[in-house]
Amino acid sequence: MTEDLGNEQAVVRLTDVRKEYGESVALSGVSLEIHAGEAVAVMGPSGSGKSTLLSMVAGLDRPTSGAVVVHGDDLGSLNERGLALFRRRRIGMIFQFFNLLDDLSALDNVALAAQLTGTSAPHARKRAFELFEELGIGDRRNTYPAQLSGGERQRVAVARALMNRPAILLADEPTGALDTRAGEQVMDLLLDLNQIGHTLLLVTHDQQLATRCASRVIDFVDGQIAGERSLERTA
Amino acid sequence: MSAVWPVSRAAVRRRRVQTVVIGVVVLLSTTMIVVALGLLAASSGPFDQAYARQSGAHLVASYDPSKVSDSQLTTSASAAKAYAGPFAMATLDLGSNGKFGEPQSLVTVGRADPGGPVDRLNVWKGRWAAKTGEIVLNRNPTASDGFGAPTLGSTMNAAGQTLTIVGFAYSVSQSADAWVAPAQMTSFKPTATQMLYRFAQAATNEQVSAGQAAVTSGLPSGALVGTQSYLGLRALATGEPNTFVPFLMVFGWLGLAVAVLIVANVVSGAVVSGFKHIGVLKALGFTPTQVMAVYLTMISIPAIIGCAGGTVLGNVLAESLLTRAFENYGADGVTVPIWVDVAVVLGVPLLVALSALLPSLRARSLSAAEAISAGSAPRAGRGLRVQRWLSGTRLPRSVSLGLGLPFARPARTALTLAAVVLGVTSVTLAVGLGKSLMTYQTAASRVDAVDVSLFARPTDGGPAPNDPQAPPAPKLSDAADEALIRSTAGAVSVTASANLPMRLAGTSTDLQVSFYRGDFEQLGYRILHGRWFDGPGQVVVSERFLRQRGLAVGDTITLQSEGKSVRAQIVGKAMYNSGDEVLSNWQTLALVAPSLRASLYEINVKPGTDLDAFVQAVQKGDPGLIRTEGQDAGTFVAIVLATVVLLTLMLGTVAALGVFNTVILNTRERRRDLGMLKSIGMTPSQVTIMVVTSMAALGAVGGVLGIPLGIVAHRLVVPAMANGAQVEIPAFMLHVYPWSLLALLILAGILIAAAGAYFPARSAAHTTIAKVLHNE
Repeated sequence: MTEDLGNEQAVVRLTDVRKEYGESVALSGVSLEIHAGEAVAVMGPSGSGKSTLLSMVAGLDRPTSGAVVVHGDDLGSLNERGLALFRRRRIGMIFQFFNLLDDLSALDNVALAAQLTGTSAPHARKRAFELFEELGIGDRRNTYPAQLSGGERQRVAVARALMNRPAILLADEPTGALDTRAGEQVMDLLLDLNQIGHTLLLVTHDQQLATRCASRVIDFVDGQIAGERSLERTA
Repeated sequence: MSAVWPVSRAAVRRRRVQTVVIGVVVLLSTTMIVVALGLLAASSGPFDQAYARQSGAHLVASYDPSKVSDSQLTTSASAAKAYAGPFAMATLDLGSNGKFGEPQSLVTVGRADPGGPVDRLNVWKGRWAAKTGEIVLNRNPTASDGFGAPTLGSTMNAAGQTLTIVGFAYSVSQSADAWVAPAQMTSFKPTATQMLYRFAQAATNEQVSAGQAAVTSGLPSGALVGTQSYLGLRALATGEPNTFVPFLMVFGWLGLAVAVLIVANVVSGAVVSGFKHIGVLKALGFTPTQVMAVYLTMISIPAIIGCAGGTVLGNVLAESLLTRAFENYGADGVTVPIWVDVAVVLGVPLLVALSALLPSLRARSLSAAEAISAGSAPRAGRGLRVQRWLSGTRLPRSVSLGLGLPFARPARTALTLAAVVLGVTSVTLAVGLGKSLMTYQTAASRVDAVDVSLFARPTDGGPAPNDPQAPPAPKLSDAADEALIRSTAGAVSVTASANLPMRLAGTSTDLQVSFYRGDFEQLGYRILHGRWFDGPGQVVVSERFLRQRGLAVGDTITLQSEGKSVRAQIVGKAMYNSGDEVLSNWQTLALVAPSLRASLYEINVKPGTDLDAFVQAVQKGDPGLIRTEGQDAGTFVAIVLATVVLLTLMLGTVAALGVFNTVILNTRERRRDLGMLKSIGMTPSQVTIMVVTSMAALGAVGGVLGIPLGIVAHRLVVPAMANGAQVEIPAFMLHVYPWSLLALLILAGILIAAAGAYFPARSAAHTTIAKVLHNE
């Protein structure tokens, strides 16, 4: 699945990252490493900087200072186009509110990610179909987002994130908009993905999700790392 | 309603760009509407007012005193509602004024007083001529006193007598150039008798003709030698503003239609994207009517400001055009009628508000719960089949996604498409209008119709010019010069012509009559009706000449010069602009001025002939032949063309602003989608391509739909303009849309759409996506 950099090599390396939005400081002096195959959960209260951290790693936003290196790419050195190509190839993102395109079928939403890389439509659809089968939603491939349940929509979003075999999966409150049962299913899915080798960075309020899926938890308070702990998974 | 205002104001602030777009579009269209309506309403006003003030003559007629007596004229005039006369009339020869070819004459009438039931003259300076030796000149009070203009108290020589100018009067009826006391008139040996009539009905040519028939019935045959209808003078006065009215009206309404579409689009977009906002307002306690009022107020603010600005600007432009057109009627400071301003100031904002009403009603009827939940609930996709089909094509994904976007919001797409269609319609109309006008002007002005023009100073009659810069006199005789030119190598056709200022009997307007001999059919004149002259006493005139005098091909007119008259039949109508120029032949010239020599030789040469060498060869034989510039296009068409180009740019911009506005609505509404697309690796340029493609597709469709509409508008506007300008445009000049041009016009639609979409697309492509995706 992901390109093998070896377990010892950091897939993500943040060095003294600071992010300011006008007067307010979202991140301050954050340094951390995430190694290949790890599943890391970032926890903290609202406004602690968790989502900002995820945006930095995804290349959706730039730090005010410090360095962000993901899979060998120094994001600070990339222009807008470079960042787009980086996201296309290296990152798979899963959002709390799924962010699917309402006008495209579930299959086309997923295939879209591959088509952006230049993959032909038939090949992209074939690969998307395989993912749908793997994720157990093969029969829902031709339906539209509005016709899917929350859990199904999130599975489609996961499929889309996996489409280009990313170096790291980033998930922002992936169960936040789901009911308990659907949340459980998504947790299982993320756990499975990590167990087959996907590196995972989770941002969540959900202690259960963190303890179930992550091997390491980083606590954020006021834009800074307040603590770090290793976990025994409860799965 | 106190709560409505702050919320509306906040809504205006939140949509600054759209507010400015609406304001600008309303301003531009209101300006055009005010100018068009102002010109339409006021175009005959100054003339009519001046005519009514002076109780102007509906018909000025001159009679041959040898065939009809004064008492006969008085008796027959009782058929008119009012009349003045009979007045003795003579054309006084003033001799040469020191310029070649410009002998001056004065149509002079003997009148005891300036008042009376018809043609009450305005003696605006000095007094009326009371005794012999005095003369009053007809002059517009607004005419400038140029160098050499006659002054009060100065004297002038006419018909061998010295006359003192004792006053200046103005006749809107143009009944004479000058007036003297009746006693003075006897010494001038009058050649005609003038009658001035007012009829009960005189609104049309037919009514004036009927009035003329009534007052001349029972008079001896051939007694009437000339007439001048006031409708001709009125047409002359209103010609220029009336030329502007048709296309200004069309462009104005097109602009207003685009404004309505944009407003409907903006308010619909504001309602759709503001569902949550509407829900919050209702939850706070806003009544449904207050919510509707918020949206109507939001749109009315820029509409009222734009309308007010447009009305002021329209008044300024219209007044400048009207003042220019009517300066001869003492109509300085002609204004747009107040009803136009009132109608526009009330009507345009009302129209804008009406276009916002439907979406505002939607906001009004939305339940609070539905509105609040609409913000976060996924919406059902639209245009799904098209999207699915496009996703399977080989097109780049950013292009196929872009092509599918218009189907997601069909109503908005339809409104935007309509704006593009109107934009393309305007461009098509303007391009066609420009081509037709240029073709007409080139043909009417005979631009490049002849290769070489040689001028020969007239040598007969009048003293030699005082001007030391005057050209040398020709060495050879007229016939020898023509023979010389014809024998010069390269000459193919030679036309000789002489000009003579003449008067149409019964009128006081100067005419320039050009008499031709030789190959005049090669001069580039296009005969529209009738034929060229082929014998003495025949003339060819322009459509404007006929219209201004209520004449037709086949009619006979009497031309006068230096005490001589010639009756000539109008045998043809040619395409040229002047209403005061008459074309005739050398045989007719022989009847009035047999000794006049040709002053111009117009020559066409064989292809490849060196024109300079040709002229040098001719001048070797006669150095008195001076090369002159050929005809060039007039300035009026240039002004109209400039106006058309300006309006097209304005409407193209307005249509592009409609697209601009739609793209802003779309990209704001799809912020989350765009953020997601970027999060999975869509580059900024791909986002730009996607958004621009979505509108360019509309532009292409708009081009296909707008072109036929533009062609139809062209077919309506050009003849209406020609009618206003009193010219005739042949049918072939309406066929100005070759296939290559149509293809380019489709590109115009794409260009308008792409130009409108580009900047908001770029802006959308470069928005920071982190916040969009996380702050749900």
